[in-house]
Amino acid sequence: MSNTRPVVVQVWSSSANRIRVFATLAETWRDLIEYRHLLFQLALRDVRIRYKQAVMGFAWAIFLPILIVLSGIVVRYAMSYLSGTTLDTDIIAGLAIKSIPWAFFVGAIQFSSGVLIANRNLVTKIYFPREVLPTASVLAQCFDSAIGGLAVLAVLPLLGVSYGWAALWIFPLLAALFLFTLGSSLLLSSANLFFRDVKYIVRLLLTFGIFFTPVFFEPEMFGGTGAQLMMLNPLAPILEGLRLAVVEGHDLSQTLMVTGTGADILAWSPWYLVYVFALAVFGTAAAAVLFHRLEFLFAEYI
Amino acid sequence: MATRGSGTGIVADQVWKKFHRGEVHDSLRDLIPAVARRMTGRAVKRDELGSDDFWSVRDVSFRVEAGEALGIIGPNGAGKSTTLRILTGIMRPDRGSVQIRGRLRALIEVAAGFHPDLTGRENIFLNGAILGMATGEVSRKLDRIVDFSGVEAFLDTPVKRYSSGMMARLGFSVAAHMDPQVLLVDEILSVGDMAFQKKCFSYMEGLSEQGVAVVFVSHNMSAIARLCPNTMVLHQGAVRFLGSTDEAQQAYYSLLDEKAADAQQAPGPSLESFEIRDAEGVPKRVFRSGERCTVRTSVRVDRRYQEFSLGLSLAMPSGDESFHTTSRRLNEPTIDAQAGDVIELTAELTLNLAGGSQTVWVQCHDYAGSPSEVRRVAAMEIHVQKSLDFGGIAYLDPSVQLRKADSGAGATD
Repeated sequence: MSNTRPVVVQVWSSSANRIRVFATLAETWRDLIEYRHLLFQLALRDVRIRYKQAVMGFAWAIFLPILIVLSGIVVRYAMSYLSGTTLDTDIIAGLAIKSIPWAFFVGAIQFSSGVLIANRNLVTKIYFPREVLPTASVLAQCFDSAIGGLAVLAVLPLLGVSYGWAALWIFPLLAALFLFTLGSSLLLSSANLFFRDVKYIVRLLLTFGIFFTPVFFEPEMFGGTGAQLMMLNPLAPILEGLRLAVVEGHDLSQTLMVTGTGADILAWSPWYLVYVFALAVFGTAAAAVLFHRLEFLFAEYI
Repeated sequence: MATRGSGTGIVADQVWKKFHRGEVHDSLRDLIPAVARRMTGRAVKRDELGSDDFWSVRDVSFRVEAGEALGIIGPNGAGKSTTLRILTGIMRPDRGSVQIRGRLRALIEVAAGFHPDLTGRENIFLNGAILGMATGEVSRKLDRIVDFSGVEAFLDTPVKRYSSGMMARLGFSVAAHMDPQVLLVDEILSVGDMAFQKKCFSYMEGLSEQGVAVVFVSHNMSAIARLCPNTMVLHQGAVRFLGSTDEAQQAYYSLLDEKAADAQQAPGPSLESFEIRDAEGVPKRVFRSGERCTVRTSVRVDRRYQEFSLGLSLAMPSGDESFHTTSRRLNEPTIDAQAGDVIELTAELTLNLAGGSQTVWVQCHDYAGSPSEVRRVAAMEIHVQKSLDFGGIAYLDPSVQLRKADSGAGATD
């Protein structure tokens, strides 16, 4: 066996007490690159088992978004009945575009928050960077949501939406959504390993989150202050941004005011983008550092 | 081979690992006091023991070079698994360090990564990735892996329909193709049927020749004796012995004796003495098959037994008895024993056994009780080295003749 490659040297010793953020992030990144094959295989496993022995198969990918849209139509129909307006196709198009990222977030958090415990066997027996497990669940959810997303983009023109340049905002918004979801799943999956109550918190969050996230409605319906409060929810600017850019054709680098009952209401500010990106990038970095520091305790505490 | 001397191997340097007895805070309610303690600086430092902490591994140092194989043995709770987890990188030591030079792979629970709903083929790729192989590498080795496992016919069947033996075979086949420089092995050789175990052993034996540094953790002394020239005996987290496997066997068995002696506090007849000597009268634990030995034991009786008799039982690591008898069965009269009496037994045995470990039990029998009472009071593990050429579990002291039968002559005579 001829081996010309230099010998890899690994040293296991007790972790330093000082947290070195950039070194930890770099190490996490190197680990993920080194174990990319495992990441891919685990994501593939998650996708495969979701569709094996499931009668509806890939229809499940669009089932949840369809359900969200139908629920939204019910809510919006009641609202327009009360206010004496009609339910136009723009509203349905907005519901459709927002249903996908919401379904993505719910699905990804649902699967990834329990993923370390579900793979207890691997966590206690076999070494690999543990980040791979929640990351793979988020990637598997990306696959599902990509099917749903493409279906929605294909249906939207039928609802009278025509895609303009502003629709390109989809890409940075989805990147922010992915990062934010990844950070949340790193945080929740490791927290769930140490504290089993996290499971219940996650369940509540996912059940009632839809009331605090502008999926069925728009933030400006709550008036000026209400809209700004609503936009503090990191998912709100992402969902609203998607609707404004794709359905309304609004360029997100511009402020958008809409006429409310009294004064004009701020519906969009570019600062929302800054807020979401800052949160997604720094929050995920913090979650990744925390996760990496804790992962050597996983086998002990699980 | 080329890898010998290229500097691959393991160096464990004064490794310590602590664990916590009892529950750790498992719900958020307990987190707040813990955080408060940490903020006020009253938390326990990483390398010191807290009130409910104990050292699971203490001051373990060893070195394994390329082409060497080190066995690690010890009773339950000796720190074997923790040591192994520290070596794999799953857990970090609280003090000391481990240096791994070379591609590290571990043969631990070979089927751990299998998903029951996926087919054999899909699981090969998944498990390969879990063991650290690239997807391309698995594709290249797929034919060899499938060949080795012998499950070709079921390759596209979900593994939930596999027998546990097939699962183990497939898992091992993937693992056997991972091309390590440093390999950690845990107990896996006890799975599968005889033929498969043979395959595992010959794979393992080949590793040292290829210059792989191997650490083999097991509580099966005969498997270690077969594969590792050197062995480390662990007890309560610390190194009890580190050196040649022959000496390690003696150290391990005397350790087991101490533990057995500690367990002698239960009510009932209690052990006074127990020893096994060879034909020259030297106390020994390792014998050759066919060797004569003398077992001497005495038992203090805690109450009256009308028809008391002592017996011996030998059992293999699987728990199956290879032999048992009692003094009464050998026509020694039973004894009417009063509380406090010490009863002695001397038995001479010929160890006509195949190689491997045997546990020798001392058993008290009271034939007056109905049903007759049996109680085990002590155990000692001995090791039989197979020196006679035979197969099976017992040596039947055969005498044979082989010749060409003179078929024509008998008929004409």
